[in-house]
Amino acid sequence: MSKPVSSFKLHLRAVATGLKYLLFPNRITVYYPEEYVEPPEGYRGLIRYYPERCIQCGLCAMICPASAMKMYRTKTDRKGRPGVNYQRCIFCGFCVDICPQNALEMTKVHDVAYESLNELVVPPERFSQEPVSPAVAGGARRLKTVFDEERGLRHELA
Amino acid sequence: MLRSSEAGGVVYSRLIAKEGDESTYELFIGPQHPASGHMRFIVRLEGDIIVSVDPDIGYVHRTMEKLAEGREVIKSIPLLERMTIIDSHNVTLGLVRALEKLLDVEPPPRARYLRTLLSEINRIASHLYGMGIAGIMLNHSTMFMWAFGDREVWIQLAEDLSGSRLTHTYSVPGGVRRDLPQGFADKAEKAIRYMEKRLRDYMAIFLDNPQVRARYEGVGVLRKSEASRLGIVGPNLRASGIRYDARLAEDYAAYSELEFEVPVREEGDALARMLVRVEEIKQSMSIIRQVLRKIPDGPFFSEKYLRLLPPPLREQVAKTGRVKFPGVFASLKLPEGDAVSRVEMGHGEIFYHVTGNGSTKPYRLRVVTPSFRNVILFRYLMPGHRFMDFPAIYGSLDYFPPEADR
Repeated sequence: MSKPVSSFKLHLRAVATGLKYLLFPNRITVYYPEEYVEPPEGYRGLIRYYPERCIQCGLCAMICPASAMKMYRTKTDRKGRPGVNYQRCIFCGFCVDICPQNALEMTKVHDVAYESLNELVVPPERFSQEPVSPAVAGGARRLKTVFDEERGLRHELA
Repeated sequence: MLRSSEAGGVVYSRLIAKEGDESTYELFIGPQHPASGHMRFIVRLEGDIIVSVDPDIGYVHRTMEKLAEGREVIKSIPLLERMTIIDSHNVTLGLVRALEKLLDVEPPPRARYLRTLLSEINRIASHLYGMGIAGIMLNHSTMFMWAFGDREVWIQLAEDLSGSRLTHTYSVPGGVRRDLPQGFADKAEKAIRYMEKRLRDYMAIFLDNPQVRARYEGVGVLRKSEASRLGIVGPNLRASGIRYDARLAEDYAAYSELEFEVPVREEGDALARMLVRVEEIKQSMSIIRQVLRKIPDGPFFSEKYLRLLPPPLREQVAKTGRVKFPGVFASLKLPEGDAVSRVEMGHGEIFYHVTGNGSTKPYRLRVVTPSFRNVILFRYLMPGHRFMDFPAIYGSLDYFPPEADR
């Protein structure tokens, strides 16, 4: 150190700052799956399909940038109905934004795990069921994120 | 590959390559080394003094430009934002601007302000990422954890605004996809006040820390003339005394209606580059405050495309603050012609050149990213320094390998 006196003061300041956070930590850890942070309004999670509103126009499949959404031919319909492959889906929400009938909707659920790759391919029948978060189904405490000027983020019971 | 030395016919491995004299040691760093990222450095050392560094890029090359030429233009937005996933709005804003020029559509004023808002949130998050990585490269784990933890605050703000943590896909030709959510200004103000306090702590524990200063001061000096000759961009250029910023050079988003300073330093060393980033975070927070104060009312999506929606959907867009694309968005036709645009990302200036030929796919889409322009610095800044200075200089450059590879 070329300037030991002035450096000493700065060393002390650095150590004091470290000590401050040792004594008063501002951790934002969430103990998932015992706790579950609810995403904000408008979060782009798993997609839900409402078959009764669908006019089978196919725009959702046309705009999908990842080719995750495809039109499935069913026995009852002449035109196809959308199904999604979650192996490919990037959750951009273009399909929801282009749907002229609001037949697609993005839910807040994003933590679903699948046992096999085949289950990630969701045909129209399964696509129309409400996705369920395993943490919420397991009785996790729901938390919401709150901005705090002292700690940055805090989590409160929702 | 084995080489034999001329003297005595002794066989040397490539690692003890004979480069004029046998004291030169060739060291490969990466592509799996934690400090190299997805790239390899071929470093030649004499003792522990660096003789030369060859940055060897291409380990994450994903042919983004070619892929974008094979799909409809709207699909290029989620594709190209993966180049710099930590700064995903800034990286696509340039593309959207170029597409708007070709499609002859102007975003409404509110959309321009909203774009500025997310761009600045992204810039802060990008600088925090860079500072965290720079910290861990000096074994300063506290800086790494603090910067990444505080980045969460800005990611949360971006998530509130766009619905997604990282890949926002927020700007589209004609405007933005979501309006400002309720209570956003209050949240942003709290985040800014928190960050102002934290930046003082960052200085105390990291950048003013004599240990860190000893590693950064006078290390990797990039002279003004050299910076302009090599075509360096972003904070690395401004830390060498050149006041250039694409936000000033190109009139995009709402920057021409806002007041902000472009931080410049003369030293050009690693410390100056880090300090410029800290100043830029402060300026970005000032811009966010101004945006939230000045944001005009009105639509956030162009009338040209809103007109194509049926009246109930148009009402729904105004009521919910979430856009509905007209059907034409699935196959937007790019007219014949060229458009270029440049945008200031956290890492520096990104340049787009889009050529349309009347089809739904771009005939040619060219991207020049800031990290690709800055990668040359590894070759010029390192020689003459001790090997210990390698991670210090690398960290101060805020280089992002996937962005350079595109």
